Amino acid sequence: MIPFIGAALLARDTTAEFRLGPYNQLFQTCLDPEASFDGPVEIVVLLWRLEDLVLDEMIGFLSGDEGALAGASDKIASLAAMIRQLRSSFPGMVIAGVPPYPTDIGDGILSLGNPDGLGRLHRNLVGEYIDAFGKIDGVSLVDLDAAQRQVGLAASFDPRKWYLYRQPFSDAFLYPTGQQICRLIMAARQPAKKCVVLDADNTLWGGIVGEDGIDGIQIGDEFPGTAYRDFQRLLLGWRARGVLLALASKNNEADVWEVFDRHGGMVLKRAHLSAAEINWHPKTENIPLIAQALNIGTDSLVFIDDNPMEVAQMREVWPEVTSLLLPADPADIVSAMQELTLFDQIGVTGEDRKRADMMRAERDRETLGVRISHVDFLKALDLEIDLFRAGTEDLGRITQLINKTNQFNLTTIRRTLDQIRALSGTDGWRVYGLRVADKFGEYGLTGVIIAGVSPDRRRWTLDTLLMSCRVLGRGVEAALIGGLAADARAEAVSEFRASFVPTAKNALAASFLPDQGFRPIGAQEWHLDLAAAPAIPAHIRRIGAPAEPFLAEVAE
Amino acid sequence: MTSRVTRIVAEVLGIAAVEITDDTSPDNTSQWDSMTAVNLVAAIEDEFDIRLSTAEIVSLRSVATVKEVLSAKGIADA
Repeated sequence: MIPFIGAALLARDTTAEFRLGPYNQLFQTCLDPEASFDGPVEIVVLLWRLEDLVLDEMIGFLSGDEGALAGASDKIASLAAMIRQLRSSFPGMVIAGVPPYPTDIGDGILSLGNPDGLGRLHRNLVGEYIDAFGKIDGVSLVDLDAAQRQVGLAASFDPRKWYLYRQPFSDAFLYPTGQQICRLIMAARQPAKKCVVLDADNTLWGGIVGEDGIDGIQIGDEFPGTAYRDFQRLLLGWRARGVLLALASKNNEADVWEVFDRHGGMVLKRAHLSAAEINWHPKTENIPLIAQALNIGTDSLVFIDDNPMEVAQMREVWPEVTSLLLPADPADIVSAMQELTLFDQIGVTGEDRKRADMMRAERDRETLGVRISHVDFLKALDLEIDLFRAGTEDLGRITQLINKTNQFNLTTIRRTLDQIRALSGTDGWRVYGLRVADKFGEYGLTGVIIAGVSPDRRRWTLDTLLMSCRVLGRGVEAALIGGLAADARAEAVSEFRASFVPTAKNALAASFLPDQGFRPIGAQEWHLDLAAAPAIPAHIRRIGAPAEPFLAEVAE
Repeated sequence: MTSRVTRIVAEVLGIAAVEITDDTSPDNTSQWDSMTAVNLVAAIEDEFDIRLSTAEIVSLRSVATVKEVLSAKGIADA
């Protein structure tokens, strides 16, 4: 297994040191990972087979003892409880395997008794195990059952290796398993792409709308329209995970919108698109406009086009955009797209699911903004902020923000979920989240502050301060500092320290500290006397109970 | 000329082909441990497009025995 994980990581420029835990000691490893691995580790990967844990129960069940199934369920529940115990005590990443189908026990998978026999047992136990993880936050599952289906049951198992070396699996199975474990590890460390920019003709549908007309293009129930329709469904699946969809098409704008609005075969609707540039300019000129409209960097974009020239040109002009050529055969489109790992992220959050819809509300806000004066505009927005001490349920989203916010980010310090969980649980740190809402809808959790408390408890150092660009510029920056200062004063804190660490991308945040009244005390160091801190601007309301957590916690 | 078996053993064990003789075995080659033995079987099966039985696998205790097993399967130019 180790060479397969290691090779997959190397292919993504990451090296790792591996420690092998003791054989068949899952419970022991969960209780004391450090002893099991002979020292501290950053990631624990627990892979197991049903045969390792519930062999007797499986044999009993196959011999007609229905009660054995309950016994197996109990053991699965104890394993899940043990992994929960590991999760709460171990600060690193936890990856747990979903067990593959048992290959060396009972009748074969095609035996007539299998659907109600071993097949049922495997389905039930795997279902119970996965359900148990719905209640354990922060454990990543690697699905060995799926890896086995990918290569085929027969090809996954090598009985000779099992009997000779107690290593049951073939290289054919270990390869995708290593890939999947690598994907999980990298998803926790690398920011995912945020937006896919799509060509229209011969990408979203077959044919060219400007030449073939709305009735001549292929999209819907007949091949090749079926292949494009399935691609559109896949895109909607990405959108549901938080990937923004945008259009870059060389066409007459009206022709393209007519297809979106009127063609019955279209699964993708105009409302699903967060941005569109439909014109005859080079697509390389439209790319920065799309990035700007969505307030994201061009390096967060994936460009997909069926035209090799467009793809080549994009790669030339915008190397940081991931540009992909659509497979020439429409039948290959979906399978090729399913293999992409560009949008991988650990634990899709509720914010992700709502993002594309929130971006639509943004367009409505901008429309309001051009109609009335700025001051009236701010008042009319009914802005509300909720500045709160982050709970465990917020840490997934907070980790995402920390790892992908590039522009309005004072220090650009990246942290893993496990590191943030560790910080949020200690007295020396304050982890704050910021939610913003206005009359058009919620922006969601769009800001993070992590403050270190000085030993004398008089000073907070703002180690991390970031906000999504979507909420900037309406006084929210001042409200953030004003609200934080109020909470800090309630804890008898008298001073904030902060630093601005310039990067290639965070120029947007360069004037934040002086704008909020911070004064320089070093090259990059700033301080704010809380007596002089700004108040929350009048047009912004702070909702939720002001955080006074420590008094409350001590009282309990 | 380096034989195919010598080349595979050298690659899998990570040692120079010139150091490998018919007598090379787990007893005199520290790199030939239980893990590399598994890889060696996979490499031999790939190279010669054969499948070894468990009996054949456990008999692979030296380069000479590898050649014997292959020759018994009708592979002469191993």
